[in-house]
Amino acid sequence: MKITRRKLAAAALVPAAALAQNQPALPRNPDEELNAARDRAKGLSDALARQSVPMATEPAFQFKP
Amino acid sequence: MPAIPADVFFATIPELNARLASREISAEELARAFAARLEQLGPRFNALALPLPQHALRKALEVDKDIKHGRLRGPLQAIPYGVKDLISFAGQPTTWGARPFAGQVFDYSATVVQKLDAVGAVLTGKLAMVELAGGGGYRYASASLTGPGLNPWDRTRWAGGSSSGSAAAVAAGLVPFSLGSETSGSIVTPASYCGVTALRPTYGLVSRHGAMALAWTLDKLGPFAHTAEDCGLVLEAIAGKDSKDPGSAGKSFYYTPQYARPNKELRVGFARVDFAERAEAPARAAFAAALTVLKDTGVQLVETSLPQFPYGPVLSAVLAAEEASIFESFITSGKVEELADAAQIAGLKAALELPAKDYLKAQRIRRLIQEAFSRLFADVDALIAPGRPGPATKLDQRLDAGGPTAPAGTPPGFQGIIPAGNLAGLPALVLPCGFAENLPVALQLVGAPFSENTLLAIGREFQARTDWHKRRPPGV
Repeated sequence: MKITRRKLAAAALVPAAALAQNQPALPRNPDEELNAARDRAKGLSDALARQSVPMATEPAFQFKP
Repeated sequence: MPAIPADVFFATIPELNARLASREISAEELARAFAARLEQLGPRFNALALPLPQHALRKALEVDKDIKHGRLRGPLQAIPYGVKDLISFAGQPTTWGARPFAGQVFDYSATVVQKLDAVGAVLTGKLAMVELAGGGGYRYASASLTGPGLNPWDRTRWAGGSSSGSAAAVAAGLVPFSLGSETSGSIVTPASYCGVTALRPTYGLVSRHGAMALAWTLDKLGPFAHTAEDCGLVLEAIAGKDSKDPGSAGKSFYYTPQYARPNKELRVGFARVDFAERAEAPARAAFAAALTVLKDTGVQLVETSLPQFPYGPVLSAVLAAEEASIFESFITSGKVEELADAAQIAGLKAALELPAKDYLKAQRIRRLIQEAFSRLFADVDALIAPGRPGPATKLDQRLDAGGPTAPAGTPPGFQGIIPAGNLAGLPALVLPCGFAENLPVALQLVGAPFSENTLLAIGREFQARTDWHKRRPPGV
């Protein structure tokens, strides 16, 4: 099979592209960093909201009077 | 004084006991040798937070006197050890691995240190860790006052976190055992990466009094050592009721492998996909071989699945809310900016804003998780999974980017077993099980609450058939 330079270059780029998709972009300054952390917290909130919990289920604390 | 034979540095606790009993070696000789080795080699792996050679020598001389007068205090008498630098030792700095706390000194020792002191163990140093045990979520291995924890097997790789020094010090033979802590993964990860045996005890079994609080309902202290048996001996010494720890379960632990149920009666749940598609390719052969060995011990391996819950988000919400409350003044005062890792700083600040409803929802889901695991453990005695899907990450690798992902449609297996086990307060035993790319990989054996003896018995059988736990890193 003949491999052209273009095919070779495209193949070499795939892992980097896949990796870039895997990694969230790096925040550049403290404000961006904080916003990214807030976004992650919002994501948590959304994930928790999707889970249904029976009304009678109490939080898993231990209170020892 | 004669030189200590090199194999002593990698000896198990019973092997050290035999040398002490035969007077081949004294507590003083052990303390001098281990303290010097920790001081000399600890910095090579960024594993050392504080050497304590003078304390070690004083304690060892006292122990030798006790032994001479027949005051025998059990298998840890004269055995050197180190503690993660979030465990206080009276009068000496306890930095929590973080620059803003570099000058912090407590006037009391943690309960675990007092307990080990009472049985004659010899503290030789404090061990390095990720700053504030990484609760804010850190991006790089360098998130530590002492620099990135370097893996004794390959210093271009991370030792794992947050108990980096506790794992690296045992792996490099700098201490026979150490103590670390886990809120979610901080014992399992470094033990897996460094190829040492470690035990995350059931929540509440070991007092946290005198240790940094990161998340009250999640924090646990546990041992790193060379074998499952050593972990059992250490756990027996540090477990027990403590009125100074509100989370204390009020239970003691006695290491009794002689009363363990025969392996053939034990059912161990696993998900085949964890050892294949979900494991990193270089580690699959080691994991497959380990499963075969485990089967050879007589246990029945049964395919099972974890209850489906959003374990990661639930754990993150509980951790964020509790750490925000614990470190509120540290965060609002601006001292948080002195931490090393930008992601950790932002994570702690954002944690202050987590709504109460999210914390409560997470704790309610956690109740369902506990109930689901209780049902699961009616069917199996333990669960087995890789400690981590592959070997230690490279030092410069982003830790918040996620590892390699399995192809779409791959069953979840036991994905999330680390947050799941921590949310349910379950014990876990880490067993080195082979190598991938010349780096160790390990299994984690997870059991029902207070089933440590079952896990240790399985671990002991596994280690009787393998020698992965006896391997030594090159050059140490």
